[in-house]
Amino acid sequence: MNKIKNLKAPATFATLIVIAMLGSRGANLYSAEPTTGTPPANPPATNAVVASTPATDVVAKPAPKGPLTGAELYSINCNRCHQERYPTERTGAQWRTIMLHMQVRANIPVSQSRLILQYLQENSGR
Amino acid sequence: MKMTMKSKHRVIVLAAAGILGLALPRPVSAEVSDADFNALKAAVQQLSEQVQSLKQTNQLVEQVHEQDVQQLQQLQDKLAETQQIATNTEQKVIEAAQTQPIPRPPLDEATVNHNFMMLGDAEFQYDKVAGQHGGFVMADFAPIFLYRAGDNILFEAGFDTTLQNSAPNSSGYTTSFNVSFAQIDYVLNDYLTICAGDILLPLGTYTERGAGWLNKIPDDPLAIDALLPGSGVGAELRGAVALGDAGKYINYSVWGVNGPSSADGTANGGALDLGGNVGVTSDGTTANLHGNPSGGARLGLFVPFYHPHYDVELGVSGQSGEWDNAGQYLWSAGVLDAALHLGPNFEAKGEYIVTQYGSGDLGVNTQQGWWMQAAYKLAGLNLELPAINNLELVGRYDGLLHTYDGNNNAFDFKTQRYTVGMIYYLTNTLLLEGDYEFLHSNDPSQTDQLLLQLSLGF
Repeated sequence: MNKIKNLKAPATFATLIVIAMLGSRGANLYSAEPTTGTPPANPPATNAVVASTPATDVVAKPAPKGPLTGAELYSINCNRCHQERYPTERTGAQWRTIMLHMQVRANIPVSQSRLILQYLQENSGR
Repeated sequence: MKMTMKSKHRVIVLAAAGILGLALPRPVSAEVSDADFNALKAAVQQLSEQVQSLKQTNQLVEQVHEQDVQQLQQLQDKLAETQQIATNTEQKVIEAAQTQPIPRPPLDEATVNHNFMMLGDAEFQYDKVAGQHGGFVMADFAPIFLYRAGDNILFEAGFDTTLQNSAPNSSGYTTSFNVSFAQIDYVLNDYLTICAGDILLPLGTYTERGAGWLNKIPDDPLAIDALLPGSGVGAELRGAVALGDAGKYINYSVWGVNGPSSADGTANGGALDLGGNVGVTSDGTTANLHGNPSGGARLGLFVPFYHPHYDVELGVSGQSGEWDNAGQYLWSAGVLDAALHLGPNFEAKGEYIVTQYGSGDLGVNTQQGWWMQAAYKLAGLNLELPAINNLELVGRYDGLLHTYDGNNNAFDFKTQRYTVGMIYYLTNTLLLEGDYEFLHSNDPSQTDQLLLQLSLGF
């Protein structure tokens, strides 16, 4: 009996993932397909609502074949764990500190971290 | 004073007449010889030529004079025009200076070598547990202080400051202040970072990514708090290697920490203390309560696919080490973690955790825990309704098997929990979360509850 119960958790997990994937595919049919490439340099400030995060929407295009830009890496990595923070929210020096923190915490490659930092600094608040 | 053309002509005529008057013989005189006449004729002719030459010279002089006058006039006109241009330019400069925004600071500001700043989160929570009074139960302030020294050295420390009602044992309230982590990070090169201090343990990903405003549900999964140590005092090596240039990478962590210990020094099953083996002991002896540290590692793979925001992350991690003071028994943990994003609006993630430790009184205890969570932002429906677009629906299923029952001194608690909830994003960093948890457990402390939380990330 215990063995059966032990199997319930992984089985339920797998079922939920499959349902979620199917659900997402269905919902995706109604999503607008974005057309442009990089996030805007000056997106709305902190009080913008997450559901309409511009960088998120704008960047969602088929993955290019060439090397990813800092903006694309930022979009891929930075809202996996938290809501997107806009480059204009911090100064260049602050982004430098935050990116060192996030590079260690999220354990992302230094080469990618450099490109993301460059993008953030070039579009920073000051 | 200049002579005019006419006056010059008159002078010349008069001069010629005078010369003629002097040269001509008086009528009453004797007759003029041919030679004298011819000489006089030649003189007159010479004078006439000289007069003609003077006339021509005078004309040339007048022409030059007129040209000089014209040039002078042109120069005066140009000078006036230049003065007007200068005046207009000065006016434009003044106007431009008045309307220009404040210039950006020099780029040096972005490259300052040292920087101190504070990030973190704050939460305010309302809790209604089944069979109890509802109440405002928590005000939490959890700052993270960062100090960067140059390009590759960072000190980071996180704190949790919470209020606790002292009733029913005493009046008033207390404030707890805990160090969540405090570590020095040294980026040795592109592939290796050395961390030392009270480090967050990457047993799975939740511990490192579960701060109040990051987690989509106000409380932690059961297994995270019950089965795993959140941090440990020790050292860690970590890094990541990009696989190609399309965003894919693998990352790793290897660490050694004091590890779990015994709360009372014994090897009894109920004495396991997952997070207490830090700092100097109360009797002044050195920190680690047992002889040897625990070792652990995590290996992760991140693969973006199809579109940005479509990615999967997989990880396997574990830790093992002795836990009782005598060092007779091992505590070991293994964790599988996975996260999936399908577009910007859907996320699913979860972990499966197994721990095992030997004990002096209850033998070898194997515990299991799991959590899986899915969330969907309604913005993906494209309904163009702000109230809907700001909502995210969340569901979680988590559980525990064989946790310790102190009353029976046995590992017989089994708990399953189903959580449904939502997040309303007031801004991208201010979240209003609401959840209801349905508990199925033989542990009497586990009951249904309603949780409301206002979270701010900063």
